[in-house]
Amino acid sequence: MKESLMDVICCPLDKGDLELDVDERDGEEILEGTLTCTECGETYPIEDGIPNLLPPDMREEEENGEAAA
Amino acid sequence: MTGLDRGGPDVYRPAEDSGLLAEAAVETAHGRVLEVGTGSGWVAERIAEERGLRVIGSDRNPHAAAEARERGIEGVVADLLDPFRGGAFDTVCFNPPYLPTDPDNEWDDWMEHALSGGESGRELIAPFLVDVGRVLAPGGTVLLLVSSLTGYEEVLALIADAGFSHEVVVEESFPFETLTVLRLEREG
Repeated sequence: MKESLMDVICCPLDKGDLELDVDERDGEEILEGTLTCTECGETYPIEDGIPNLLPPDMREEEENGEAAA
Repeated sequence: MTGLDRGGPDVYRPAEDSGLLAEAAVETAHGRVLEVGTGSGWVAERIAEERGLRVIGSDRNPHAAAEARERGIEGVVADLLDPFRGGAFDTVCFNPPYLPTDPDNEWDDWMEHALSGGESGRELIAPFLVDVGRVLAPGGTVLLLVSSLTGYEEVLALIADAGFSHEVVVEESFPFETLTVLRLEREG
Protein backbone atom coordinates (compact mmCIF):
# COMPACT_ATOMS: atom_id res chain seq x y z
CA MET A 1 0.00 0.00 0.00
CA LYS A 2 0.99 3.58 -0.50
CA GLU A 3 1.28 5.84 2.51
CA SER A 4 -1.41 8.08 0.99
CA LEU A 5 -3.94 5.29 1.58
CA MET A 6 -3.88 6.45 5.23
CA ASP A 7 -6.06 9.39 4.11
CA VAL A 8 -8.99 7.10 3.31
CA ILE A 9 -8.80 4.20 5.78
CA CYS A 10 -9.81 3.97 9.43
CA CYS A 11 -10.50 1.33 12.07
CA PRO A 12 -13.44 -0.83 10.90
CA LEU A 13 -14.71 -1.17 14.47
CA ASP A 14 -14.88 2.43 15.72
CA LYS A 15 -13.69 4.51 12.72
CA GLY A 16 -10.72 5.70 14.81
CA ASP A 17 -7.53 6.97 13.15
CA LEU A 18 -4.90 4.36 12.38
CA GLU A 19 -1.20 4.59 13.16
CA LEU A 20 1.20 3.10 10.65
CA ASP A 21 4.27 1.04 11.60
CA VAL A 22 6.36 0.02 8.62
CA ASP A 23 8.43 -3.19 8.70
CA GLU A 24 9.35 -3.36 5.03
CA ARG A 25 9.17 -0.79 2.30
CA ASP A 26 9.92 -0.83 -1.43
CA GLY A 27 10.13 2.76 -2.60
CA GLU A 28 6.63 4.24 -2.24
CA GLU A 29 5.10 0.88 -1.41
CA ILE A 30 4.70 -0.35 2.14
CA LEU A 31 4.97 -4.14 1.89
CA GLU A 32 4.84 -5.29 5.50
CA GLY A 33 3.70 -3.50 8.61
CA THR A 34 0.98 -2.93 11.15
CA LEU A 35 -1.90 -0.50 11.46
CA THR A 36 -3.00 0.25 15.01
CA CYS A 37 -6.21 2.01 15.97
CA THR A 38 -5.45 5.06 18.10
CA GLU A 39 -8.87 4.67 19.82
CA CYS A 40 -9.30 0.97 20.63
CA GLY A 41 -5.74 -0.30 20.11
CA GLU A 42 -6.82 -3.09 17.71
CA THR A 43 -4.09 -3.99 15.19
CA TYR A 44 -4.39 -4.84 11.50
CA PRO A 45 -1.62 -6.44 9.45
CA ILE A 46 -0.17 -5.20 6.16
CA GLU A 47 0.99 -8.27 4.23
CA ASP A 48 2.43 -8.37 0.71
CA GLY A 49 1.49 -4.73 0.30
CA ILE A 50 -2.16 -5.17 1.26
CA PRO A 51 -3.73 -3.99 4.51
CA ASN A 52 -6.19 -6.49 6.00
CA LEU A 53 -8.84 -4.32 7.62
CA LEU A 54 -11.38 -7.03 8.37
CA PRO A 55 -12.64 -6.88 11.95
CA PRO A 56 -10.59 -9.36 14.05
CA ASP A 57 -13.37 -11.98 14.38
CA MET A 58 -13.86 -12.17 10.61
CA ARG A 59 -10.12 -12.28 9.98
CA GLU A 60 -9.69 -15.16 12.43
CA GLU A 61 -12.62 -17.03 10.94
CA GLU A 62 -10.94 -16.93 7.57
CA GLU A 63 -7.51 -17.81 8.88
CA ASN A 64 -8.99 -20.79 10.74
CA GLY A 65 -10.97 -21.82 7.67
CA GLU A 66 -7.83 -21.91 5.58
CA ALA A 67 -5.81 -23.66 8.26
CA ALA A 68 -8.48 -26.39 8.52
CA ALA A 69 -8.55 -27.00 4.78
CA MET B 1 -13.32 -26.74 3.16
CA THR B 2 -12.49 -23.67 1.17
CA GLY B 3 -12.30 -22.98 -2.54
CA LEU B 4 -8.55 -23.39 -2.30
CA ASP B 5 -8.43 -27.12 -1.87
CA ARG B 6 -10.98 -27.90 -4.56
CA GLY B 7 -8.77 -26.55 -7.28
CA GLY B 8 -11.62 -24.25 -8.27
CA PRO B 9 -11.28 -20.58 -9.04
CA ASP B 10 -10.85 -18.36 -5.96
CA VAL B 11 -11.62 -15.05 -7.58
CA TYR B 12 -14.67 -14.02 -9.62
CA ARG B 13 -13.80 -13.64 -13.32
CA PRO B 14 -14.99 -10.57 -15.24
CA ALA B 15 -18.34 -11.30 -16.92
CA GLU B 16 -21.21 -9.40 -18.58
CA ASP B 17 -21.99 -7.60 -15.32
CA SER B 18 -18.37 -6.46 -14.97
CA GLY B 19 -18.38 -5.17 -18.55
CA LEU B 20 -21.52 -3.15 -17.97
CA LEU B 21 -20.26 -1.66 -14.71
CA ALA B 22 -16.94 -0.76 -16.35
CA GLU B 23 -18.78 0.96 -19.21
CA ALA B 24 -20.86 3.03 -16.78
CA ALA B 25 -17.91 3.81 -14.52
CA VAL B 26 -15.58 4.89 -17.33
CA GLU B 27 -18.35 7.25 -18.45
CA THR B 28 -19.30 8.75 -15.08
CA ALA B 29 -16.58 8.19 -12.45
CA HIS B 30 -14.91 11.27 -11.02
CA GLY B 31 -12.42 12.18 -8.33
CA ARG B 32 -11.21 9.52 -5.93
CA VAL B 33 -12.80 6.15 -6.66
CA LEU B 34 -13.53 3.10 -4.50
CA GLU B 35 -14.64 -0.17 -6.01
CA VAL B 36 -16.24 -2.39 -3.37
CA GLY B 37 -16.00 -6.13 -4.08
CA THR B 38 -13.40 -5.50 -6.74
CA GLY B 39 -12.80 -9.23 -7.40
CA SER B 40 -10.08 -9.57 -10.03
CA GLY B 41 -9.75 -5.76 -10.13
CA TRP B 42 -10.66 -5.67 -13.83
CA VAL B 43 -13.32 -2.94 -13.53
CA ALA B 44 -11.08 -0.86 -11.26
CA GLU B 45 -8.25 -1.19 -13.77
CA ARG B 46 -10.51 -0.02 -16.65
CA ILE B 47 -11.41 3.11 -14.65
CA ALA B 48 -7.81 3.82 -13.66
CA GLU B 49 -6.45 3.32 -17.19
CA GLU B 50 -9.17 4.96 -19.23
CA ARG B 51 -9.87 7.88 -16.89
CA GLY B 52 -6.54 8.31 -15.15
CA LEU B 53 -8.26 8.36 -11.76
CA ARG B 54 -6.97 7.03 -8.46
CA VAL B 55 -8.88 3.81 -7.79
CA ILE B 56 -8.90 1.80 -4.58
CA GLY B 57 -10.24 -1.76 -4.79
CA SER B 58 -11.54 -3.54 -1.72
CA ASP B 59 -12.66 -7.13 -1.30
CA ARG B 60 -13.36 -9.51 1.57
CA ASN B 61 -11.31 -12.09 -0.27
CA PRO B 62 -7.53 -11.63 0.18
CA HIS B 63 -6.89 -13.51 -3.10
CA ALA B 64 -8.99 -10.89 -4.90
CA ALA B 65 -7.26 -7.95 -3.22
CA ALA B 66 -3.91 -9.47 -4.24
CA GLU B 67 -5.03 -9.88 -7.85
CA ALA B 68 -6.30 -6.27 -7.96
CA ARG B 69 -2.94 -5.13 -6.63
CA GLU B 70 -1.15 -6.99 -9.43
CA ARG B 71 -3.20 -4.88 -11.83
CA GLY B 72 -1.83 -1.74 -10.20
CA ILE B 73 -4.95 -1.05 -8.13
CA GLU B 74 -4.54 -0.15 -4.45
CA GLY B 75 -5.96 -3.28 -2.83
CA VAL B 76 -7.54 -3.45 0.62
CA VAL B 77 -9.10 -6.45 2.39
CA ALA B 78 -12.32 -5.14 3.89
CA ASP B 79 -15.92 -5.97 4.74
CA LEU B 80 -17.99 -3.61 2.55
CA LEU B 81 -17.32 -0.01 3.62
CA ASP B 82 -16.30 -0.64 7.24
CA PRO B 83 -12.68 0.63 7.19
CA PHE B 84 -13.18 3.71 4.99
CA ARG B 85 -13.30 7.23 6.32
CA GLY B 86 -16.28 9.53 6.13
CA GLY B 87 -16.32 11.68 3.00
CA ALA B 88 -13.29 9.90 1.51
CA PHE B 89 -14.61 9.10 -1.99
CA ASP B 90 -16.18 10.94 -4.92
CA THR B 91 -17.27 7.74 -6.68
CA VAL B 92 -18.12 4.36 -5.17
CA CYS B 93 -18.77 1.40 -7.54
CA PHE B 94 -20.29 -1.92 -6.47
CA ASN B 95 -21.15 -5.05 -8.43
CA PRO B 96 -22.58 -6.95 -5.47
CA PRO B 97 -22.90 -10.69 -5.01
CA TYR B 98 -26.56 -10.82 -5.93
CA LEU B 99 -27.78 -14.33 -6.70
CA PRO B 100 -30.58 -15.39 -4.39
CA THR B 101 -29.37 -18.57 -2.69
CA ASP B 102 -31.20 -21.23 -0.74
CA PRO B 103 -29.48 -21.32 2.69
CA ASP B 104 -29.38 -25.13 2.49
CA ASN B 105 -27.45 -24.92 -0.76
CA GLU B 106 -24.77 -22.41 0.21
CA TRP B 107 -21.43 -23.93 -0.58
CA ASP B 108 -19.16 -21.76 1.59
CA ASP B 109 -16.09 -20.95 -0.44
CA TRP B 110 -14.71 -17.79 -2.04
CA MET B 111 -16.87 -18.14 -5.14
CA GLU B 112 -19.96 -18.37 -2.95
CA HIS B 113 -18.97 -15.12 -1.27
CA ALA B 114 -18.54 -13.59 -4.73
CA LEU B 115 -21.91 -14.72 -6.08
CA SER B 116 -24.42 -15.27 -3.32
CA GLY B 117 -26.59 -12.45 -2.05
CA GLY B 118 -28.22 -14.70 0.55
CA GLU B 119 -31.82 -15.86 0.43
CA SER B 120 -33.15 -12.53 -0.90
CA GLY B 121 -30.15 -11.77 -3.11
CA ARG B 122 -29.97 -8.43 -1.29
CA GLU B 123 -28.08 -9.33 1.88
CA LEU B 124 -25.04 -7.24 0.94
CA ILE B 125 -26.85 -4.55 -1.07
CA ALA B 126 -28.93 -3.49 1.96
CA PRO B 127 -26.03 -2.81 4.40
CA PHE B 128 -24.00 -1.25 1.57
CA LEU B 129 -26.75 1.28 0.85
CA VAL B 130 -27.20 2.09 4.54
CA ASP B 131 -23.50 2.98 4.94
CA VAL B 132 -22.40 4.32 1.54
CA GLY B 133 -23.62 7.88 2.16
CA ARG B 134 -21.10 8.12 4.99
CA VAL B 135 -18.01 7.59 2.81
CA LEU B 136 -19.17 9.86 -0.03
CA ALA B 137 -17.68 13.33 -0.38
CA PRO B 138 -20.10 16.18 -1.16
CA GLY B 139 -21.31 15.76 -4.75
CA GLY B 140 -20.34 12.10 -4.63
CA THR B 141 -21.84 9.39 -6.82
CA VAL B 142 -22.58 5.70 -6.34
CA LEU B 143 -22.66 3.27 -9.28
CA LEU B 144 -24.57 0.12 -8.36
CA LEU B 145 -25.13 -2.87 -10.60
CA VAL B 146 -28.58 -4.42 -10.16
CA SER B 147 -29.84 -7.68 -11.66
CA SER B 148 -33.50 -8.42 -12.23
CA LEU B 149 -32.81 -11.68 -10.34
CA THR B 150 -32.24 -9.62 -7.20
CA GLY B 151 -35.57 -7.80 -7.45
CA TYR B 152 -35.24 -4.44 -9.19
CA GLU B 153 -38.18 -2.77 -7.42
CA GLU B 154 -36.99 -4.01 -4.02
CA VAL B 155 -33.53 -2.54 -4.63
CA LEU B 156 -35.07 0.79 -5.72
CA ALA B 157 -37.00 0.85 -2.42
CA LEU B 158 -33.75 0.31 -0.46
CA ILE B 159 -32.11 3.12 -2.47
CA ALA B 160 -34.95 5.54 -1.64
CA ASP B 161 -34.88 4.50 2.05
CA ALA B 162 -31.16 5.31 2.15
CA GLY B 163 -31.91 8.84 0.89
CA PHE B 164 -30.65 8.54 -2.69
CA SER B 165 -32.15 9.44 -6.03
CA HIS B 166 -31.33 7.16 -8.95
CA GLU B 167 -31.01 7.20 -12.71
CA VAL B 168 -30.21 4.42 -15.18
CA VAL B 169 -26.76 4.74 -16.78
CA VAL B 170 -26.79 1.53 -18.85
CA GLU B 171 -29.08 -1.45 -19.11
CA GLU B 172 -28.81 -4.71 -20.98
CA SER B 173 -31.03 -7.77 -21.21
CA PHE B 174 -29.74 -11.32 -21.26
CA PRO B 175 -31.72 -14.57 -21.56
CA PHE B 176 -32.09 -15.01 -17.80
CA GLU B 177 -31.71 -11.53 -16.37
CA THR B 178 -31.64 -7.84 -17.08
CA LEU B 179 -28.64 -5.96 -15.74
CA THR B 180 -28.84 -2.27 -14.92
CA VAL B 181 -26.20 0.12 -13.64
CA LEU B 182 -27.79 2.82 -11.52
CA ARG B 183 -26.18 6.11 -10.66
CA LEU B 184 -27.20 7.23 -7.16
CA GLU B 185 -26.93 10.69 -5.71
CA ARG B 186 -27.95 12.06 -2.34
CA GLU B 187 -31.38 13.59 -2.44
CA GLY B 188 -31.78 17.26 -1.63
